[in-house]
Amino acid sequence: MSEVTNVSIKEQNKSAASSLLKKNIRKFLRNKLAVLGLVIVVGMVAACVACAIAGVDYATPDLTNMKSAPGNGHLFGTDTIGRDLFARVMFGGCYSIFIGVFCSVVSGIIGAVLGAIAGYFGGKADMVLVRISELFQTFPQLVLVMMLVAILGTRGMVNILLIFVFTGWMTTFRMVRNEFLSLKGETYVKVCEAFGMSRSNIMFKQILPNVMTPIIVSTTTNVAVYILQEASLSFIGLGIQDSTPTWGNILNAAKSVAVVTNQWWIWVFPGLAITLFVLAINFLGDGLRDVLDAKQQ
Amino acid sequence: MLKFILKKIALMIPMLLVISLIVFLGLRATGVDPITYMVSMEVQAQSPELVEELRESLGLNDPLLVQYVRWLGDLVRGDLGYSFEGQKIADIIAVRLPYTLELSGYALLFSSIIGIAIGIVSAIRQNGVVDYIGRVFAVLGQAVPQFLVGILLIQLFSIKLGWFPAANRVDPNATNAFVDAFLHLFLPVATLTIGMVAVLMRYARNTMLDVLNSDYIKTARSKGIPEWKVYLKHGFRNAMKPVLIILMFRIPGLIGGSVVIETVFSYPGIGLTMTNSIVSNDYPTVMVITLIIAAVMLICSFMVDVLNALLDPRVRLGE
Amino acid sequence: MDNREIILDVENLNTSFISDRKEVKIVKNVSFQLKRGSALAVVGESGCGKSVTMNSIMRFLGSNARVKADKIQYNALRDGKVTEYRLESIKKPHGPEMRALRGPEMSMVFQDPMSSLNPVYKVGDQVAEGLLQHNKGMTKKQAREKVLEMFRKLGIPDPEERIDCYPHQFSGGMKQRVVIAIAMICNPELIICDEPTTALDVTIQAQIMELLKEMQVKDGKSIILITHNMGLVAEMADEVCVMYMGRVVEFGSLEDVFDRTSHPYTQALLRSVPVLGLADGQKLETIPGATPNPADLKGGCEFADRCPFCTDACRARDIPMFELSPGHRVRCLKYQEFPEVL
Repeated sequence: MSEVTNVSIKEQNKSAASSLLKKNIRKFLRNKLAVLGLVIVVGMVAACVACAIAGVDYATPDLTNMKSAPGNGHLFGTDTIGRDLFARVMFGGCYSIFIGVFCSVVSGIIGAVLGAIAGYFGGKADMVLVRISELFQTFPQLVLVMMLVAILGTRGMVNILLIFVFTGWMTTFRMVRNEFLSLKGETYVKVCEAFGMSRSNIMFKQILPNVMTPIIVSTTTNVAVYILQEASLSFIGLGIQDSTPTWGNILNAAKSVAVVTNQWWIWVFPGLAITLFVLAINFLGDGLRDVLDAKQQ
Repeated sequence: MLKFILKKIALMIPMLLVISLIVFLGLRATGVDPITYMVSMEVQAQSPELVEELRESLGLNDPLLVQYVRWLGDLVRGDLGYSFEGQKIADIIAVRLPYTLELSGYALLFSSIIGIAIGIVSAIRQNGVVDYIGRVFAVLGQAVPQFLVGILLIQLFSIKLGWFPAANRVDPNATNAFVDAFLHLFLPVATLTIGMVAVLMRYARNTMLDVLNSDYIKTARSKGIPEWKVYLKHGFRNAMKPVLIILMFRIPGLIGGSVVIETVFSYPGIGLTMTNSIVSNDYPTVMVITLIIAAVMLICSFMVDVLNALLDPRVRLGE
Repeated sequence: MDNREIILDVENLNTSFISDRKEVKIVKNVSFQLKRGSALAVVGESGCGKSVTMNSIMRFLGSNARVKADKIQYNALRDGKVTEYRLESIKKPHGPEMRALRGPEMSMVFQDPMSSLNPVYKVGDQVAEGLLQHNKGMTKKQAREKVLEMFRKLGIPDPEERIDCYPHQFSGGMKQRVVIAIAMICNPELIICDEPTTALDVTIQAQIMELLKEMQVKDGKSIILITHNMGLVAEMADEVCVMYMGRVVEFGSLEDVFDRTSHPYTQALLRSVPVLGLADGQKLETIPGATPNPADLKGGCEFADRCPFCTDACRARDIPMFELSPGHRVRCLKYQEFPEVL
């Protein structure tokens, strides 16, 4: 008898969950900007990956066609030393998007775990973690870049990933910590504690799901933040080495006034690519926030 | 209140010490040898004893910690040391730091005023014209990389229209110092301001909306006071606090932004110096600038703490 | 009854909210009259539209609300003369006409004293604000004296000291006294109390209710009390208005509603009140089912799905009001033989 009711409750929950999912999807689809964002993000990722798999040639300069405007075999034209800009923008997309996604996911996870620990345990652990996060906050990113570049001896992708993760986990950390501080006083947490549930279980299975919405939203929008950061670093010449195309590296050419004035395509296309992608990510993030935010339902 | 301020100041000093230690050890760990910048390769090859003597006299053979303490001691006494190019770092800083403070200070000032004003108007007239335009601007302002905005402004206002200079801070032939400063500062300040306004405006709007939905706004209205009083006295005063806090969190972004913007506009501030020193491995300069930037950030966060306490009686009276 | 006796006259009030481009009706054809110097209790489950009704009258609703009414008439009695205000025809919800009424004529006490006070200002200043607004030329010192007087009257201990404290230094009950002081400081005729004690302890609750009763009896204030606590209703109210899903389902004097309970919903509501000394084995009754979502209501009686007397006719059309005896009105087809009223 009890098993029968158990099953039916489980099924009820399942159907309730699936109807909530359906409702959320419907709500998301009604948000036109969010759908547009999703379409652009998926489209650009697919295009970049497709080009990378197809192996378009982004490195060999076409010496007869330096600085040529879009057209005659080069869709976006060629850059200052005659490399095909379309291939570079596509490959650059792969690198830039990878950097953005990787850094935001990893720093999100680190921030969430540390934030959960600081918020739930409080006391000394909290104090130490908060001080460390403040330390990172005040530490100029560029100096870290320089140190790592010098220590590792190369201006590689690994540096950038490490640095961004290193300097980027504090926002998620602070948010998760504050949520935990207020949630750990809730009755249901006390109930779990009274049942003798293990601390890690309470932290990650009971409290964390309540904080997932802001984490998901901030991880999404952070992708854009990291892409922009990479672009800035590469622009001032401290990003990934020039041979690897990223959107920022391609834009580096725009440092020269002559290029800006005479070869518009060299900066307009990568610039547009970054802007469009960041825009789409932000739309997507806003849409997710609207759909997932329980307060608004 | 005094105790609160003293406590905050007391916390800043260990932070600066830790940062300086990390910077010092980190940059020494890079293995760049200052000797190579002082003595030419041939001399090094011909007389290694001389180099060793120089090394000893400079204290480069002492344990790192001893060197650190010595460097810190010099720093406290006001001796910032020499850059690898042989300039006194104190001189470089004295010229360039004010430029950067000028740049980011104005950007902070204008973006706070514009951003908060637009944010509040869009919250009060939700879905109105200002709100709509503001939203479009905020979305675009956050999506276009800041250096690209700078490039576009240069392209339009200095190259096409010729209204503003595209680079530098001081024109040696300028007759009026104020006009000269305005002309050189306008574009970089505008670039930084655009980026900050986009963020601040959205945040100020959402905070103000939250506040306007709270119960005490209803209480205020139930007294029959005019709407502007409801918005400014009861709404804005409460929205100020979170906006100030976000302002603090944006300051690192502003400083990072001015590093990039100084490159775009060849603006001879501390950020450009830093970038150049990093590229040329000039670590004594980098160390000093890092400490200055860290100190500026700590001071900013300290000021926001104090302001926060002044604005919120719960913090002011609670401790 | 003339305008001297009636202080508030509401006819056919309809309020709806626009959400997701759909219009959801929250308050439907609400009509009632409040007698001067009496206390009206508005009762019903949460979400039945009682707060929205009162906020519609005070014009406190946001821009996504649509308020329509044939009549919301407030009759002010000053120095023996009656002035009529037609609130439904005032265009701007926070314009000068509405503001002139808020404070000196009608005011409101809110549910949660914790969030009803502005955290950044001293309580004394918050109380004095309304006073200074409506009495041009009053000095801050005079206002302070008035506030102190009000604090004493409301039983706030050490008023001289407490007047310069911030809200967070007050307990919940004291905060609610401050909120009442804000509502009372301009000496209004009508006070709307929106669940004034829900957020408070039971002992504090009794003190606050006593305070309100005193204001009604001694100072002759008219009070509207929104609550879902039937015990409070029995103690406080002269007349009772029972609401369900945005409609008034029963309206009458305290005796009418409590002793000659007519609507099945009111009956169920009264049966579900716990009583001291409930006999062994006697179970506290609950109302079966849950309140429907206002967005997916069909026509007919809103209570039909939960009503033991429901017939097919109940679901066919909107149910009119029937007058059982003068002043006692019920929205239920069981009483079809009685005359239909608004």
